[in-house]
Amino acid sequence: MLLALAAGVPLTAAGCGSDSDSGTSAVPGATSSDSGLQAVYDAAPRAEDSAMPAGSTMAAIKDRGKLRVAAALDAPLLSQQDPTNPDNIEGFDIDLAKLLAIYILGKPEIEVIPPASETREALLANGTVDVVFNTYTITEERAQQISFAGPYFTSGLAVAVEADNTDIKSVEDLAGKTVIVGANTPAVTAVPERQPTAEVVSFATDPQAVQALTQGRGDAYVQDYTLLAADAASNRDIKIVGQPFTEEPYGIGLKHDDADFKQFVNTWLKAIEDDGSWTQVWEATLGTVSDSAAPTPPAIGSVPGS
Amino acid sequence: MLLDNLDPLLRALGTTLVVLLVSAAGSLLLGILVTVARVSPVPVLRAAAFGYVQLFVNVPLLALLLLAVFALPDAGLVMPLTTTVIVVLVVYEAAYVAEAVRSGVNSVPPGQVEAARALGFTLTQVLRLVIVPQALRTVVQPLGNVMIALLMNTALAATVGVVELTSAVNKVNLVEAQPIPIFAAAGLVYMAIALAIGLAAGRIEKKVAISR
Repeated sequence: MLLALAAGVPLTAAGCGSDSDSGTSAVPGATSSDSGLQAVYDAAPRAEDSAMPAGSTMAAIKDRGKLRVAAALDAPLLSQQDPTNPDNIEGFDIDLAKLLAIYILGKPEIEVIPPASETREALLANGTVDVVFNTYTITEERAQQISFAGPYFTSGLAVAVEADNTDIKSVEDLAGKTVIVGANTPAVTAVPERQPTAEVVSFATDPQAVQALTQGRGDAYVQDYTLLAADAASNRDIKIVGQPFTEEPYGIGLKHDDADFKQFVNTWLKAIEDDGSWTQVWEATLGTVSDSAAPTPPAIGSVPGS
Repeated sequence: MLLDNLDPLLRALGTTLVVLLVSAAGSLLLGILVTVARVSPVPVLRAAAFGYVQLFVNVPLLALLLLAVFALPDAGLVMPLTTTVIVVLVVYEAAYVAEAVRSGVNSVPPGQVEAARALGFTLTQVLRLVIVPQALRTVVQPLGNVMIALLMNTALAATVGVVELTSAVNKVNLVEAQPIPIFAAAGLVYMAIALAIGLAAGRIEKKVAISR
């Protein structure tokens, strides 16, 4: 069923993604989220009361009437606050958080606490937040301090090219090409591993690398998918081709040793993956700047530490 | 660890040396021309040379590099990266060369210039035969220092995508994650080149120095 959805949805997405729908908004994806995701919210799965026994974390959240989420406010397409309307936060991470809130509370009621990378474990441990949705890569070291539900998304290095480039469709087409990378990023070593004949040119910062790509100093720019997605959202001259070719599994951070809550969140994740909500959220956010179909979500629990 | 990557490192060192040598030759030539303009009797030339030196001595090299690499293409001028870096280094270091040579010009006794004019030398002849040769002979060591600074400045090329020594060493470190031995080794290579420049300058100075 999931396959059928994944194959069917891109047709409609290709139809509406190219018109003014996604092009006129100041905040990438905002317009399409407002209109497109309301239906997803309405149809989103809701947990049975029996799944939230008294004394559990889920029950505590339900009593409070609000899901407290650690998420960024400045990550385009993942979790970005609308500067003109601070209540409006859009993106893949934050929309999934809203779906989790609906699952528990029946409404997308969330309170966002912006975390710094160093404070995420602490925010979970001292109970400031219930969950972390923050492109939080699952690692075994982190899993000793907190728990991870998911993975819910696999990012990794991806390829961006100039918008009018039709030769390069994936990392496979980079042989013999000049490839721009960020200095001191994993791409510096990953590109020669995948394409030994590619010539690698490194620039100090992401904006410099994007500028270099649009000025034709390289045929492609290899960088983390989500970062490229943000670049592509703000710069119409570049686009992402293909899916990530390395693996960076993102998990939902939860308090350590709360096995019931972890089980509960994983059950929810499975539910939104199975009913297609996950794919629809992807299409409305990260998918707006990708020219390929929605990826298949990674298998839950497939990564050490999850 | 470094030996495994010897081939790309040597190629990168080659790039560093090429950038160094070409920029050194270019900046010496341009710097001398700027000095000549600076001491010429033509007010417009003097003002232009003054402005040139002030501009390039007071703008950071990194800013110039970024402008040349990212702004010039928007103005329609795209040069290969290494060429762009060499051009920027030449115009930047020429300002310092010009200042060094100008201090040499000031060491030429005015009486010599007056004598040359009295003998009927044209302005070009005075500059070419009397002032510039003597000025250069007194500033060999300062010029050597400018060239050593130029060597260190070539490392900035790494920030704009030129794979010279620093950039290549960075890449090795990214894989090996052994920053201290790797960067110490690169530092020793830079030091060796700088010492060679310093020694050469010392030798040349001994040969050409004017004892007054």
